[in-house]
Amino acid sequence: MGGLLLAAIGCGDDAAPAKPGDASKPDANKEVNSATGKGTPTVAAFTGAPLEIKASDKELLEAAKPEGKVLVYSTTDSASAKPLIADFNARYPEIKLEYQDLNSTDLFNKFTAETAAGTDTADVLWSSAMDQQMKMMQDGLGGSYQSPEADKLPQWAKYQEPGKTAWGTTLEPFAFVYNKKLLPADAVPKDHTALIKLLTDKTDLLKGKVTCYDPEKSGTGYLANSRDVTNFPAFWDLAAALGKADVKLYTSTGTMIEKIQSGEHIFGFNIIGSYILPKLKTDADTFGMVFPQDYTIGFSRVAFIAKKSKRPNSAKLFLDHLLSKRGQDILAKQSLLYPSRTDAEGEATASGLQKELGDKLKPIPVSNQVLDALDQTKRLAFVEKWQKALGRS
Amino acid sequence: MMATIPSTLTQPWIRKRPFGRYAVVATVAILVLSPLLLIAYQSSLNGPFFAESSHFDTGAWRYVLGARQFWRAFGTSAIVATGMVGIGVPLGAVLAFIMVRTDIPGRRILEPAVLIPIFLSPIVTAFGYVVAIGPVGFISLWVKSLVGSVPWNVYGLPSLIVIAALTHVPHTYLYVSTALRSVNPELEEAARTLGAPPWRVALDISLPLVRPALLFSASLTFLLGFELFGLPLVLGDPAGLLVLTTYLFKLTTLLGVPSYQMMAVVALSIVVVTLPLVMIQRHLLGQASRFATIRGRGLALRPLKLGPWRWVALTIVVAWLLLTVAVPLGGILLRSVVKGWGEGVSLSRVLTLDHFRGLADYPNLIRGIVNTIALGVIGGAISVGCYLIVGLTQHRWSSRGVAVLDFMVLIPRAIPGLVGGLAFLWLILFIPALRPLRDSMIAVWMAYSTVWLAYGLRLISTALLQVGPELEEAAQTAGASPMRVRWEITIPLVRLGLIGSWLLIFMMFVREYSTGVYLFGAGTEVIGSLIVSLWGAGGLDLIAALSVVSVAIVSVALATALRLGVRLHD
Repeated sequence: MGGLLLAAIGCGDDAAPAKPGDASKPDANKEVNSATGKGTPTVAAFTGAPLEIKASDKELLEAAKPEGKVLVYSTTDSASAKPLIADFNARYPEIKLEYQDLNSTDLFNKFTAETAAGTDTADVLWSSAMDQQMKMMQDGLGGSYQSPEADKLPQWAKYQEPGKTAWGTTLEPFAFVYNKKLLPADAVPKDHTALIKLLTDKTDLLKGKVTCYDPEKSGTGYLANSRDVTNFPAFWDLAAALGKADVKLYTSTGTMIEKIQSGEHIFGFNIIGSYILPKLKTDADTFGMVFPQDYTIGFSRVAFIAKKSKRPNSAKLFLDHLLSKRGQDILAKQSLLYPSRTDAEGEATASGLQKELGDKLKPIPVSNQVLDALDQTKRLAFVEKWQKALGRS
Repeated sequence: MMATIPSTLTQPWIRKRPFGRYAVVATVAILVLSPLLLIAYQSSLNGPFFAESSHFDTGAWRYVLGARQFWRAFGTSAIVATGMVGIGVPLGAVLAFIMVRTDIPGRRILEPAVLIPIFLSPIVTAFGYVVAIGPVGFISLWVKSLVGSVPWNVYGLPSLIVIAALTHVPHTYLYVSTALRSVNPELEEAARTLGAPPWRVALDISLPLVRPALLFSASLTFLLGFELFGLPLVLGDPAGLLVLTTYLFKLTTLLGVPSYQMMAVVALSIVVVTLPLVMIQRHLLGQASRFATIRGRGLALRPLKLGPWRWVALTIVVAWLLLTVAVPLGGILLRSVVKGWGEGVSLSRVLTLDHFRGLADYPNLIRGIVNTIALGVIGGAISVGCYLIVGLTQHRWSSRGVAVLDFMVLIPRAIPGLVGGLAFLWLILFIPALRPLRDSMIAVWMAYSTVWLAYGLRLISTALLQVGPELEEAAQTAGASPMRVRWEITIPLVRLGLIGSWLLIFMMFVREYSTGVYLFGAGTEVIGSLIVSLWGAGGLDLIAALSVVSVAIVSVALATALRLGVRLHD
């Protein structure tokens, strides 16, 4: 940890010596070493982690200044991302951050079309659709950047191939969520086997009032369910039980949360935990959340730099910021997104989950493995089996 | 009035080769057909058209046309559309007659209210119904406490048809009322003098005279039935109901990455539905001059006296308003001021203004609202100007050019938003001349104007249709040039149609989202994109607050316009 905590004294006019042949634009594929050195002037005091100041930061910043802006396409909604964006803006006022929040399909459509047309497009992609992100990497749309911050990411969150890197920035669990007022506390299932039992025993109470993602219409739903199959041999019994309980399928987490809150639904299976955390604070009487004890799947918001990015240095700056302790702490404390960095601090972190669940936490790795979710034959076969199990073909 | 007017009199100023008119037709054709042709091209490939590996393949057609779900969805859409026409068009016509031609009390308040469903976003409306009359809606729970159970189900086909029909009544209302305003009142008065009750006058005199508007409304409503997305998504999905647009939505994820070719096939199947609609319409309309009732003599419009029928009329109007406006809007309003709702929640304990506070904190909110209003008011006005040019092109020109235009203008509206938005993105990206437009709102404005062309143009055409040729001929005989005739005679006579069109286009632009979804950027977001962004944050609270704000803004705009003298009626 070669960083120094500077309290607005230091100026860093002696930058680390520029690498030969670099000029002001370091090559996109060259590794940037984290050298020790004098720090850059700090921005006015920000609560949170001490600034990790490295010489490479200053170099990068100098290279990024002529670029002037960084365009980010993301599926993280603006409100959740606001603290991170504000911090970036305060830290690097010379770099304008343009943040566009889109849903995952729109992000994919927009970025692939723009790249094919060669027009100005995003510099950084940050999306929770892991399969689509990895597909874009595979198709050569993603570039490579060995961020110095990446050392602190867990192994599953790192995708590093020649000319391609992608990082899993969070680890968000799929949880059991329920309406506390309508489901008695002793009935809350601890794991998936108990869930099957609950659905079979209490069909009268739960009929038409259980919900989960539709794997046919929701990429997240398919990702989760395909992992369920590998982790839980009795998954198809669960599907049958869900079918008997007339499970309601949706694509939008917002809709499911709304219906659980109103009591139209009582139990949600595989609901994304990070969305529920804020509700646990504002609406503690209504919402309850448990992580299944036999296994809990976690997905990650994957970030990468566009290969043909017109502003590679600003992009790197943003990616560094996203992966830095400072940025990840913000994600933990203010955005409640379970950041993946091993030393992130806050109430909602991946390491916290790891401590709680041990090896029962099953992160979906940021790797080519995810691509088998895009195998059309497998997908259609799964969907057909799912419909049959639900009794709805 | 049934005799054919010799063409030398109806087309005195159509030159042998009317280049101006051909140019307009060509421009409209390019605007309208480019998205369609691109989609058709995409449907015959095996991957995105911009991918190098893509080649000709009929696989998408074979898959979709062979998919049982596709046909089931098609059937459901057709049923919904038919129901909407069967219920919505007669209701809209009756409402139009009551509001425009009779002396119903409270007209000044009721008339603007009738237009509210037009500018409510469909998804928000649907959720409003869920909050109000869903299984644990506040009205449902109240009824449950009285009679023990909830006697209706807001999810499912019957509810979807009824709610869709009711919320599309304003479309019929708008076209029929504009037409009715220009109908010669002497005809109705004659009938009244002979002792006919108001409903008889409506059925036998007024409504037949506005047959073009009725037919258009029916076609449009039927088409909109296929276009429905928000309502079936919220009200149909929980009942396992699939319509064409939600089937299309499914295709964006079914195979992991969106399958553009299959989406294109489904989009084309909807466009194909419009073909017969327009042909039937043209066939039934026949002679245009039968419907010209603005004649050379000046006439004052006097409303029909309803007498004892006024209470029946009032009941109809108020009942419709309650079901279509008060219920969903009430649901949304309530949702915007409560922390929680539903089973086991005592409403008085959860009232809060937090959601509005949260909204104020939301990034880019003010900018989004300002962009939306500017787009609606300024963009809308420019659009109406363009539509007027197209309308004047069709005016008094009985050649095939008119028939071609009639068919073409519906096409952009027929392409579902999910695919239309993509098509516009691709056109802007891959046509080099258009690329620079992306960074401003011009690209968005062009896309919106093309999609809503049919709507805006129709109100103007309806008004133009009712201008009798004698007025223009008189001016011509006095020596005025064609341009002057248009400027000083024709256009002023259709000013009600122009204003109606502007109002409608404003409301549509405010509500629109999917057409421009890929064209927005930082700085050009609108309320629609904000709503989608808020959706991601989970829960309806902020969306409800934003909807309330948006309805308030449009209502204020409407009220101001009315105050300043824009009159919906004379």
